[in-house]
Formats: sequence, C-alpha cells, structure tokens
Amino acid sequence: MILTSIYLRNFRIHKDTKIKFSENLNYFVGGNGQGKTTILDSIYYLCTTKSHDTKTDSESVRFNEESFELGGVFRGTSENKIRIVYSLKDNKKEYLQDGKKITRSVDIIGRFPVVLLTPADHAITQGYPGERRKFIDSIISQASGTYLKILLDYNKTLRQRSSLLCQMKENRRNSLSDELNAWTTKLVQSGKEIIEHREKFVNEFNGFIKESYEIIMGKEEVPAMRYFYFDGMSSSNIEGKFFELLDQKKEEELKRAANLVGPHRDDFIFEINKLNLKDFGSQGQHKTFQVALRFAQFFYLKKTTGKTPVFLLDDVFGELDKKRSIKISEYLREVGQAFITLTDFANFSFLKRQENDMLFQINNGTVDYA
Amino acid sequence: MQIAEPLLAAIEELSKLPGIGKKTAQRLSLHILKSDNETVASLVKAIEELKTRLRFCSRCFNLSEEELCEICKNEKRDKKIICVVEEASDVIAIERTHEFNGLYHVLGGVLSPLNGIGPDSLKIKELLKRFESEDIKEVILAINPDTEGETTALYLARLIKPLGIKVSRIARGLPVGGDLEFADEATIGRAVLGRIEL
Ligand SMILES: [Zn+2]
Repeated sequence: MILTSIYLRNFRIHKDTKIKFSENLNYFVGGNGQGKTTILDSIYYLCTTKSHDTKTDSESVRFNEESFELGGVFRGTSENKIRIVYSLKDNKKEYLQDGKKITRSVDIIGRFPVVLLTPADHAITQGYPGERRKFIDSIISQASGTYLKILLDYNKTLRQRSSLLCQMKENRRNSLSDELNAWTTKLVQSGKEIIEHREKFVNEFNGFIKESYEIIMGKEEVPAMRYFYFDGMSSSNIEGKFFELLDQKKEEELKRAANLVGPHRDDFIFEINKLNLKDFGSQGQHKTFQVALRFAQFFYLKKTTGKTPVFLLDDVFGELDKKRSIKISEYLREVGQAFITLTDFANFSFLKRQENDMLFQINNGTVDYA
Repeated sequence: MQIAEPLLAAIEELSKLPGIGKKTAQRLSLHILKSDNETVASLVKAIEELKTRLRFCSRCFNLSEEELCEICKNEKRDKKIICVVEEASDVIAIERTHEFNGLYHVLGGVLSPLNGIGPDSLKIKELLKRFESEDIKEVILAINPDTEGETTALYLARLIKPLGIKVSRIARGLPVGGDLEFADEATIGRAVLGRIEL
C-alpha cells in the first residue's frame, strides 16, 4: 500500500498543507515545533482515526479556527480516499472512506495498517506493563479484527464486573453472587481467547524480532520476547487455571472491589542473550530493541495482512550511533515507502538520498520541496 | 430571531425522541405544519392510541391490547417453548421471519451493573414463575450477542438448566455488534433454526 498524497487544513500549526509523496523514502526536515511530527501524526490519524499524540481533537484545531480537516489517498489493489473532518462547535469528528461515513472502529483498524516509531517508544522496553500490552494489542488488532472485538468485549466485561464488585462490597447479597458468577464466566471466556491469541502471536513474532535485530546488530546478541501471564503460573489448561486463580483471589477481589486475575494484568519480557533487558540492558540496547520491534511489526503486519503498512519514523536517528544508523538506513530500503523526520539532513551524511526519495523542508507549518 | 411559541414547543417535544436532533425536529415540525388537517389528526390519534390502547402482556411482557397478548392467546402456538428476548421490538423482528411458532418472554433489558441493572430490574422472576405454571420444555435465549447480552444469557442458563429444561442460544448467527432489531429477516431466521444447546 502506498500513500500517494495528503492534505492538512487548520491542523495544529498547518494552515493549508498539501504534499505529494515518493513511493520510496520521504524525509521531513525541520527544527522542533515547526510541524514535521504533525505530518507523521496526521498520517497516523488517517490510518487509525486517532492521534498518536496526547493532544485531543479540540486541541488540534489551529488557533482561531473552527474545524480541521485531513485527507489522504491510499493506493493498494484499489485506490481509497480518506477524509477526517472535525468541528470544534459540535465536538464531532467524521471519518469518510471514499465519501462514505464509517462509524465503527472495527471497520477501520487494520484497513490501512500503520507502524510508528517514535522517541516515546522507550516506554515499551523501559515503562510499565501497560505500555507493552498496548504495543502488543495494537499489532494483533491490526492483524486480526476478531482480536479487536474480543479485546473491546473483555474491557467492557472488566468495567461491568468491577462495578458489580463495588456494589457487593457495599452490600453483600446472595443474588449478587449469582450475578458475579455470570460475569466471571464471561470474563474467563473472552480472557481465555485473549491469552490464546497473545500466546500464538508471541511465538510467531519472535522470529520477526530476531531477524530485525540481527540486521541492525549482527549475530552476537540474540533477542527474545516472552509472554508472562497469570503471574507466571501459565498452564496448558488456561480456562481451568483462570477459574482456579479467580477462586483463590475471591476474597481479595471483593475486599478491593477490583479485577485481580486476567490478561489485563499480563506482561511481556524482552531478553538479550537470555538476560532480562529491563534489568541488564544498556541505553543503546534498549534503543536498538525498540527499533527492531518496529521493523518486526512492519514485516509481521505485511505478512499477516497481505498489505504493506505505512511506516512512520519520528526522529529515529537522533539517539543512535553512526554504525547502527547506517544499518537502519540500509534496512529502510527493504521497506519500500517510509516517512522519516530529521532535525537536519546535513548531520546525517550517511543517509544516501536516492533518485526517487523526497526531501521536504518544514518551517513554521509550511512545506517546501528541497 | 423570534420563533412562534407553538413551533418552538413542537420542536422541543420532538427533539426529546431518541435519534432526533434539533435540526430534524425543526424539519419535522415544519412538515407537520404544512400537512393537511386530516393527516395531522391521524398522526395525533396514532400517538395517543399507542399509549391508551397498548400495555404490556401480563404473562410475557410483549406489547398487548388486552391482559394477554395475541401470541399468548393463540391456541396454535407451541406452548412448550419460550423464546427470551430483550425488548418487545425483538418479538416483532422474530415474528417477521415466520420461523418461530412458540411463546415469548420479554426481559426488558440486560444485566448491566454499570447502569445499576441487576436481575431484579428485569422480568426474570416472572420468567421462573412461568416454569411452575406452564408446561415449558425448552427455552431459546435470543438475546443480542454483545457483552451484556451474553452475560445475561449465561446467568439465565445457569438458573434454568437445573430445572430440567432444555436451554439453547441463538446468538452466533447474528452479525457481531448488530442489534437484533436491525438484523435482516433471513439472518434471524437462520439463527432461530441454527440455535446451539447450552
Ligand atoms: Zn404475551
């Protein structure tokens, strides 16, 4: 899949930006706050209906304007025009594919797979388990619509069940315990499916991580990812173990009015040569791992969805040494189309600009072809 | 801008209806204003009779003009089988398929602790009473296959099965996320036929 062009109207610092892209590498060069990351985020927006940035939709409307609009043209087996219009007055957003309004996220997620590498990725290897679950879930969701539905179902079950636990804490009644049993069964049913999906995914994804890591670092370091669920008490009988653990924690769940067992508490452990990256990894190894994870995501989604994802790299070379940067820039040639932000092209003399690559100079929300 | 009081009142009332915004309410009001007296009178009559002539069936809680609804009164229906649904609108949807000839029971919603809806807020006790007074052999749970609907079905199956009554579920045939009310007739028909035993 190729993104051939986009436009941004009254989106953050951009008043009226139109860009035609190269099918190869697209570099966006500019200082901080000039609007280059905004271009990547608007592409992410078109693929997922959401910003990756923490900015809300209303905060994304350009100063003194009433709405913003984003548009893009994707070319795969067919051509699709995507438009997003947000109006500040109604606080309403519309997502249109070829003029047709789309309302359910399950109809969009995975339609245009996207991979975004950003400096915020440090949270994946160094942050809390929630960051790793978010990373893993976003990959599986893009690859499998079924998974996204189960995930939404599971999250709703969690909210309902904790609300019921709250009611039971306040007022313990027998009729509520029958009700809790029903919610517990529901929790196990969809929770089990999530665990099975994640288990299968980790098995497959490990091969992709190894390959990407090796291309960047060579063969001396062997990376791996392990799935950690049920606090490490994994079992071949997931359902049975799930019920057993819930039974053990029953009193505590009632006391704390919280869901204490299930895949919403899972973690994923990254290792290099069998050593836990979180405990033993250097800064360089962390960064390399983060980059390898995004390349692995790209090639995994390409294989499972049969579509080439849009690859966005925000300031990837800023924190890497020259040797790894060269490897990565060579690796990008295998990707095909990619979108890369840089603070200054001159600082990256190792980047060989090929004939079909495009270089855009971003200055205060305006774009010049360089 | 000054808007005439009666028009304002009509817009206000219409926009209280589900799915009707201020703009639509205004368009509807102006349309009614332009209609002839006869059309308006029959609209008013239909709305009034909806409230005065319809109530809930005392046995199955379907819409009814009398104490018992047409379905409960119909001697030709199979009295050994009950189809449990969320709302009266689901009865209409299933009736349209002509695939089901048993009785119904309208729950009036689904379990949702977040909205304070527990078993006591639904017609579940009333359903259990029917197993004592009627000769029911089978229950089909035709509840929407969303998170709350599936949990409600689990809850009911656990209550009903120990009574020796066959319980089945028709959810999987319906499009996920689709409300029963909007599923096309063929889909529901297939679903009723393809129910799975719990
Ligand atoms: Zn009735």
